[in-house]
Amino acid sequence: MSYTPSPAALEKIEGTIALYPESSAALLPVLHILQGEAGFISKDAEIWAAAKLGLRPVRVREALSFYTMFKRAPAGRTTLLVCRNLSCALAGADDILGLIREKLGIGPGETTPDGAITLVTAECLGHCDHAPCLQVDGVDHGPVTRETVAALIEELQAHV
Amino acid sequence: MSENGIRLLPLDDDSWRLEAYLRQGGYEAARKVLTSMAPREVVGEVCAAVLRGRGGAGFPAGMKWSFVPQGGTGPKYLCVNADEGEPGTFKDRLVLRRAPHALLEGMLITAFAVGIRTAFIYVRGEYARVSERLVEAIAEARSAGYLGPRVLGTDFGLDVIVHHGAGAYICGEETALLESLEGRRGQPRVKPPFPASVGLFRSPTVINNVETLAAIPQILARGAAWFLGRGVAKDGGTRLFGVSGAVRRPGVYELPVGTPLRQIIDVHAGGPPEGRSVKAVVPGGLSAPVLRPDEIDVPMDFDSLSRSGSMLGSAGIIVIPDDTPMLDVLHVTARFYAHESCGKCAPCRIGTSWILKTVQRLRRSGGSPADLDLILGLADGIRGRTLCPFGDAAALPIRAIVTKFRDELERAVVR
Amino acid sequence: MSGTKRVELTIDGLKVQAVERTSILKAAEQAGVVIPHFCYHPALEVEGNCRMCVVEIEGLPKLEPSCSALVREGLVVRTSTERVREARKDVLAFLLAEHPLDCPICDKAGECRLQDYYDRHGLTASRMVEPRERREKKLPIGRGLILDRERCVLCTRCVRFLRQIAGTGELGVFERGLRSEVGIFEEAHVDNGYSGNLVDICPVGAITAEDFRFKTRAWFLARKPSVCPHCGRGCAVTVESVSGYPLAGGERRVYRITARENPAVNGFWICDLGRDGRRDIDEGRHARLMKAGAPVAGLSWQTALADVAAAIRTVPGPERSARIAVVLNGRLTCEELALAKGLFVAGLGLSKVYFADPTPGSADGMLLTAERLPNARGVLEAGFAPRLPALGEIAAADVLLVFGTYLSEHFAEEALARAWAGIRSKFLFSAHAGPLDRLADIVFPVAVPAEKSGTYINVDGTRQTFAQAVKPVAGVAAEGAILAGLANSLAPDAGGGDAR
Repeated sequence: MSYTPSPAALEKIEGTIALYPESSAALLPVLHILQGEAGFISKDAEIWAAAKLGLRPVRVREALSFYTMFKRAPAGRTTLLVCRNLSCALAGADDILGLIREKLGIGPGETTPDGAITLVTAECLGHCDHAPCLQVDGVDHGPVTRETVAALIEELQAHV
Repeated sequence: MSENGIRLLPLDDDSWRLEAYLRQGGYEAARKVLTSMAPREVVGEVCAAVLRGRGGAGFPAGMKWSFVPQGGTGPKYLCVNADEGEPGTFKDRLVLRRAPHALLEGMLITAFAVGIRTAFIYVRGEYARVSERLVEAIAEARSAGYLGPRVLGTDFGLDVIVHHGAGAYICGEETALLESLEGRRGQPRVKPPFPASVGLFRSPTVINNVETLAAIPQILARGAAWFLGRGVAKDGGTRLFGVSGAVRRPGVYELPVGTPLRQIIDVHAGGPPEGRSVKAVVPGGLSAPVLRPDEIDVPMDFDSLSRSGSMLGSAGIIVIPDDTPMLDVLHVTARFYAHESCGKCAPCRIGTSWILKTVQRLRRSGGSPADLDLILGLADGIRGRTLCPFGDAAALPIRAIVTKFRDELERAVVR
Repeated sequence: MSGTKRVELTIDGLKVQAVERTSILKAAEQAGVVIPHFCYHPALEVEGNCRMCVVEIEGLPKLEPSCSALVREGLVVRTSTERVREARKDVLAFLLAEHPLDCPICDKAGECRLQDYYDRHGLTASRMVEPRERREKKLPIGRGLILDRERCVLCTRCVRFLRQIAGTGELGVFERGLRSEVGIFEEAHVDNGYSGNLVDICPVGAITAEDFRFKTRAWFLARKPSVCPHCGRGCAVTVESVSGYPLAGGERRVYRITARENPAVNGFWICDLGRDGRRDIDEGRHARLMKAGAPVAGLSWQTALADVAAAIRTVPGPERSARIAVVLNGRLTCEELALAKGLFVAGLGLSKVYFADPTPGSADGMLLTAERLPNARGVLEAGFAPRLPALGEIAAADVLLVFGTYLSEHFAEEALARAWAGIRSKFLFSAHAGPLDRLADIVFPVAVPAEKSGTYINVDGTRQTFAQAVKPVAGVAAEGAILAGLANSLAPDAGGGDAR
């Protein structure tokens, strides 16, 4: 069962590798590209990336499992990343998180049964003057309120 | 740069492009440096300005550059630390969004001074969208000859590559950043050797924070004396102070180094909201030990904060209001460090989680003063004993919360 | 070529000289000051993650890890101050807080750094009341090795060894923080010829060998040095055995072979083939004199050897060189080869003296040589020109003495049987049961190298003398004793040589 990224992704990957004096340095950018395409990084993708970069697969898994942004299992179509560090906590992040858990019926690290939304918690997204904040597929939102979050979730669930 | 170099950060969101930057005198400092100065002169100027690193450690930038061996045949690298992850810190985001060319010009001058031809900007993974303007600015700069093989028609060239991280606070530590850039787990390296001699791809490397580099054009445009004069004797220039938490006007305020903390909070950020008062202030990002209300008349410069038992760090000010239980603050803090510990060295790997587990138990089912003593003991087992400064960053804030708010914590846990 | 420049520093009041660029830890060791450590290993790149080796350096505010801090002229180092001792206690407290109380069932007990250091540097009561992380305890990682993640202290010696020494890098560290764990990728098991060294270097019982699991206790083992006889390298090994308690009286068992340090030959490592040599010592041994492949009650060595001498004597002197054949091997020690030369060549004037050795394998580019005998150089030094006999050359003999079982590696059983069929007197001197047993008139059980003392000359010409590492199986004799005994009985018949 062999894995190959799309031609577009492959082109991007090869262009990226060429930027670095050592191909292994392209590992994180390459993993981002692969995840951007498939939504997560499968075992076969790890093996492919390893071969492409001249690394052993175990080295790819080492990096993959270290960084929180990489997903190793299929995730929802949308990722909700909710900050719970100090400034956001002071602005009510716990309450927001509780509301999201209630509305989606899942906890952090989980995906809704319909595969729509994955909920993840984050430690400081660097948006503290807009606390409480979250990211929807990498786009910053903040300050959010119970109302705006409820509306956001409705909107996300409507786009099934 | 804006206002002809007086401000580092434009107040508006619309002057980030090259055209606007040039109108403010952008890239003139770089032109002067590349066409009429010797690298050693540039280093000297930055040393004289006492530009201290704005990432957290506060190491003098010029001194760091001077550690890179002169000459040599191999490549040298510049790594821009855009991994902004210190809780309470959001200034580099704004530099990337509003003043990307100030960063690029600063990088250009730095690279010239040290003899570097390739620079990597390590942007935290969560800033992928944030860095879109930076990527565009780089393209603008290349087209206009401010980056690339022959900058401003001279023999000097600089290549800039944007590299994204993937979610690890520890990659803000310079050697962990290098490990991550080389495609590995972001675990700090043993020092010595220092990056100035053995850095990226084993070559001499300079690593500087975004804001530090963005301040370089000002120094070369207006002179070291001017820059130093804006701050205090051992800490020159202005800083981008981020204020968040219980204040009316959270945001970034560009103010002289040495501005009193109380002034930043009350005058610039509007003080606490109606009906609330200040219970505690984190002065320099979560890794800076908390200050009590009676301690916030301190000037915001490295040495003054050091003397108060805290640190200027990333100048991320978090204001904690009177209605926030310090046990919750302790919990958020302990949880952060346990989550972000890279796991390489034993005291941090085990100690940070042990502290978190203890705090979680205290919140869940209470405990005794002995538990608070245990937390202090664990913090002391971590402090000064770890491979990298993360250990102190975890231990000192936790120690400060437990010591300075001991009575409140005891009342909260003894049930 | 760097640093033969020496610097002088002070360690615990001792003036110490060290080559520049040496770590303080190493310099201290050379001066007899032992600094405890987990992650440091002289053959591996420095990691600095255990924090156990920290010392006080005058002028520096923090304690510094001595494994990475380099010596400098005039440095004043203290390895045992109150601060240092507190730091060690704390490191141990942290490690033990996340370590299972497995000592009663852990193979490493008695040779475990965590135990030893706790005993010497810790002895504090545990303050840990939180539940510790529960992890996989019996993960097979390949080559009969088992990983216990609860015991692992993440020193990464195993990861570094596989990357930097074996060059195969099968292990990695996954996850982050306290959830960090050592592991392999999917089913890409550890699979290299040096995997056994992982057990040696693991400072705790995280990596253990199935072969040794639950079999004995470290404190029962007698550890004796020897030289590995399985290839031409002659790696320094330690043979670890138990004789008597807690085994039944008279019983003896070799539980493992471990690497012994020899900078001139094998450094810190041995290959898995050498480790497997444990079985060569204990398994398939015969310990009884046999006739036609079966033990004979009441047959004594004296009588049996007298039969050999008698058979030789029946061949008149001038005809011996045509009618008596001897097959030797390169596992014999230099001393034994000298005796054989003296008896067979000089003494009896034989010309049909051949050599049958283990078939060669591939060299692995590290320690294992293609030749699989330990003393090829010794054979040459003794003045032999070793060659494998053709079966016809053996078949033509009237008396055949074969030392070792290796003929059966070179010739098929039926062919050997046919060749030996016409030989009047055939004697086999071997340590292990094999297809030659039933072909010989008498089988003499001999000792294996670990049961002998002697000298081997390795592939680089290095002479290595070793002493007996393990009690011989009851009833066996070393080839040297046999050859000396034969020489004794044949002395009046041997041409030349002293009459003894």
